[in-house]
Amino acid sequence: MSTEIFGIEDVNVWVDGLIRVLLIVGFMTVVVMGLIYGERKILARFQQRLGPTRTGPIGLLQSVADALKLVGKEDLRPRNADPWTFELAPYLVFIPVFLGFVIVPFVLDWQIRILELGLLYFVAVSGVNIVGWIMAGWGSDNRYAMIGGMRAAAQGISYELPLVLSLLAVAMVVEVPAPVIDGAASVASDSEYVRGSLNLNEIVAAQHEVPNLVWQPLVMIVFIIAALAELNRTPFDIPVGESEVVGGPFVEYSGIRWSMFFLAEYAALLIMALVFAAVFLGGWAWPFGIWMDDAPPRWAQALAVAAKAGAFIFLVFWIRASVPRLRIDQLMSFSWKVLLPLMLVQVLVNGLVLVYDWPLIILTVVGLAGVVALAAIVDRAVRHPRPRPAVAAQLQGEAAS
Amino acid sequence: MVVDAPTPSEAGDFETQDLLINVGPQHPSTHGVFRMVLEIDGEVVKDLVPYIGYLHRGAEKLCENFDFRQGIGYMDRTEYLAAHNAELSYVMAVEALAEIEVPERAQWIRMILCELNRISSHFMFLGAFGVDVGVFGTPFIYAWREREAVIDLFEEISGDRMMYAYFRPGGLAWEVPVNFEERVREVLASSRQGVKDFDGLLTENEIFIARTKNVGVISAEDAIEIGMSGPSLRASGVPLDLRKTEPYMYYDQLEFEPITAEGGDVFDRYLVRLKEISQSIDLIEQCLERLEAGPIMAEKMPRMLRLPEGEAYMRTEAPRGEYGIYMVSKGGNKPHRVKVRSACLSNLQALKQMSVGQYVADAIIILGSIDIVLSEVDR
Amino acid sequence: MTTDDGGNDAVEEAPEPPDTFEDTIWPDVNRTLTAVDVRPERSVLDLIVHIPKADVVRGLGMLKNDEALQFNYLRSLTAVDNEADGVDVVYHLYSVPNKFNLTVKTTLPNDDKVLDTATPVWQAANWLERETAEMFGVTFTGHPDPRPLLMPEDVDMSDTHPLLKSHPYAEIDILQGELLGHDRDADEGD
Repeated sequence: MSTEIFGIEDVNVWVDGLIRVLLIVGFMTVVVMGLIYGERKILARFQQRLGPTRTGPIGLLQSVADALKLVGKEDLRPRNADPWTFELAPYLVFIPVFLGFVIVPFVLDWQIRILELGLLYFVAVSGVNIVGWIMAGWGSDNRYAMIGGMRAAAQGISYELPLVLSLLAVAMVVEVPAPVIDGAASVASDSEYVRGSLNLNEIVAAQHEVPNLVWQPLVMIVFIIAALAELNRTPFDIPVGESEVVGGPFVEYSGIRWSMFFLAEYAALLIMALVFAAVFLGGWAWPFGIWMDDAPPRWAQALAVAAKAGAFIFLVFWIRASVPRLRIDQLMSFSWKVLLPLMLVQVLVNGLVLVYDWPLIILTVVGLAGVVALAAIVDRAVRHPRPRPAVAAQLQGEAAS
Repeated sequence: MVVDAPTPSEAGDFETQDLLINVGPQHPSTHGVFRMVLEIDGEVVKDLVPYIGYLHRGAEKLCENFDFRQGIGYMDRTEYLAAHNAELSYVMAVEALAEIEVPERAQWIRMILCELNRISSHFMFLGAFGVDVGVFGTPFIYAWREREAVIDLFEEISGDRMMYAYFRPGGLAWEVPVNFEERVREVLASSRQGVKDFDGLLTENEIFIARTKNVGVISAEDAIEIGMSGPSLRASGVPLDLRKTEPYMYYDQLEFEPITAEGGDVFDRYLVRLKEISQSIDLIEQCLERLEAGPIMAEKMPRMLRLPEGEAYMRTEAPRGEYGIYMVSKGGNKPHRVKVRSACLSNLQALKQMSVGQYVADAIIILGSIDIVLSEVDR
Repeated sequence: MTTDDGGNDAVEEAPEPPDTFEDTIWPDVNRTLTAVDVRPERSVLDLIVHIPKADVVRGLGMLKNDEALQFNYLRSLTAVDNEADGVDVVYHLYSVPNKFNLTVKTTLPNDDKVLDTATPVWQAANWLERETAEMFGVTFTGHPDPRPLLMPEDVDMSDTHPLLKSHPYAEIDILQGELLGHDRDADEGD
């Protein structure tokens, strides 16, 4: 079997696969190092500090130095840890994140694979790493790690639902021009479209005039919230809560294994940002307003994607610098009692739009109303805090007596 | 939600076991070497056993072996975040026993420094508390910036950044620098900005409110029963502020009201401290208006203090509450007994009552909200 | 026992001026402490009341529950080692509603350092008594949680009471080292 890569014909399929894997690994490692450096610089600026300045010009080599240090560190395993679970856990966190890169549309016709069910694949793959988190928490034989692992599982599963529903809400109404991407040069006119696609490239292409954030404001906000929770980022960094469970599942890891968790965390952030750019901000297509015919140069497309993903990443860092952490019960009830019902309503409306072929502007109106509802719910919950649970009062009474 | 989980009897014969987790003495949120063992069911704290004593250095015993002036240095080390306030109690106890009249200027400067120390200590609390509730570093650095300004000023005055030993029985060690007033006003301007920054960063933050309101509630009666003092007590609605109830130095000449709150929860303890910073700024400005030139040391102070027989329990309002020195003299140049009444020790006794029934994450912020300094707890 | 304590106090405070303590809260305190053998004393700041050890906790309870006084706040609880004269246990009370201060003292003879616990009166006494117990060797009977507070739990410190005057300064490190099982010579080797 042979395939084509970089315009070279007849490349052996294994060689092709190897090249692609190496490309992802190299690309991801470099970008992640940049992200770590960027996070440190950006957070430092929020905190009136300078961040790294000493290693290399303006501290640019800091991440490289850190990586070298981590690789050189001793790989410790607690005596009572379960060897297999403990040592395999980093891979289970790490590999799914890599697999996610397969479907990311970087530029028009440049991605690892175009999958018809790309979004489904992304959702499926990104859910796997919860297993790794639980394994790390359980295998470390550390109670902090175990609590962290349990929290990660609860949180990951709870927020998977709003995340999937938000992607579904977009995918079901997106207007894909009738001849799909293989049809190459045949330009679609606006009248000939079908609704609904799970192909990320088509979703991007569909936004060549108006990005989805206009049609789906609520969905976008829910996606951001759920993505923060999936990434275990502030204010949902409960599994790793530094001040409570001191790093959670990673507490016993050191050296290269710990850096694998670290790498996976930032790689997951990157891929989530790229998916966000593709699904809501129009990826490489918007604002060029055209596709296929005389496509803008690839560097411009790549720049657009990078800027959109960068905006998402900056938002994540910004939130990290400004807000406290939620508590586990607040996190759970926010997902199940607020986000999930809102998303179900949104999906219902999307379904009506899809079935009756209503104009998309209805979605904007409904979405904005949803945003207002979300803000009102949060505001009300804060103004009228819940009284202490009865069980808590009872426990306290027992302790006092 | 974990609390509503079925009780073991409802769950049938499925046997569950509570988990014991050990927090500290090496833990990022125990503010030093505090240790507590939590018995948890899921995420709910069912029991909490605190352990202290890791920083016990026998300051009380050491004071018995040194003369009255040498003891000042040990007081600094018991309460290193508000060393001026700790020195003040000790020095005033000596002065009360020896019946020394302290000159006016020295008193006003002491008040200014103690209030400045309160500002720096409360900022330290705000920063550490911000980290406890999970903001990554930002409040900590903001707090550090303000505290740094105060500590720079202390360094200019006393030559040290933490262990000042600047108050002496009878007055002050030496005169303050010539630009003292100007520098204090600079620091106050910066602190005022710092309070605004914190107000904007945390007070109105929805997540912060959700985390802290109705958490770690303690009623006024219980707080008095446990012997809590300072902002932690005032947050429960008891207007017990020694500066007002038993005015020492010239606090009776200043205009202020003790800051209290109603709820007695973590948020109130945070808010009381935030407001106290503004109050201290206001008090310092009033002090600066009344500050006049004059001697800073009582006349005819002997080189070696010899105190008459007697005993005094001198208490002052330190940032964390009532810092008392119980000094017994049997004559001679050394105290017979020095007891440090630690506000933190008494406040910490309430930790169990506040934390049981709350979540693990709450126990951490409740501990943070009491604002303990372990060296004061253990002495 | 009680008479012994009273005798000790009398020796200790021999020069007693004819003082009626009218300007203090003594009249109220005296009225409250009916059937308790009390003796007032002035100190630099607060009024001191001596109560014999058998009656002290009962007296403290009366002081707390009296309507006019309401000493509901225990500021501090500690002890003072007077060597040959025994150990004084000192309670510093405060009344939040009335803003009164009072110091209550009781003297324990060296051969019988046992006292009832004040924890039923104020919860605040809990840790303070634990500390006093380990530092002075005073046993508080009925204490709900009589573990050491500041001293290590895993080492037997039942004979070591650091704040007693008889406890040495210089040998502390040696003492602790041996108790903790360290070989002192080996430590010095490095």
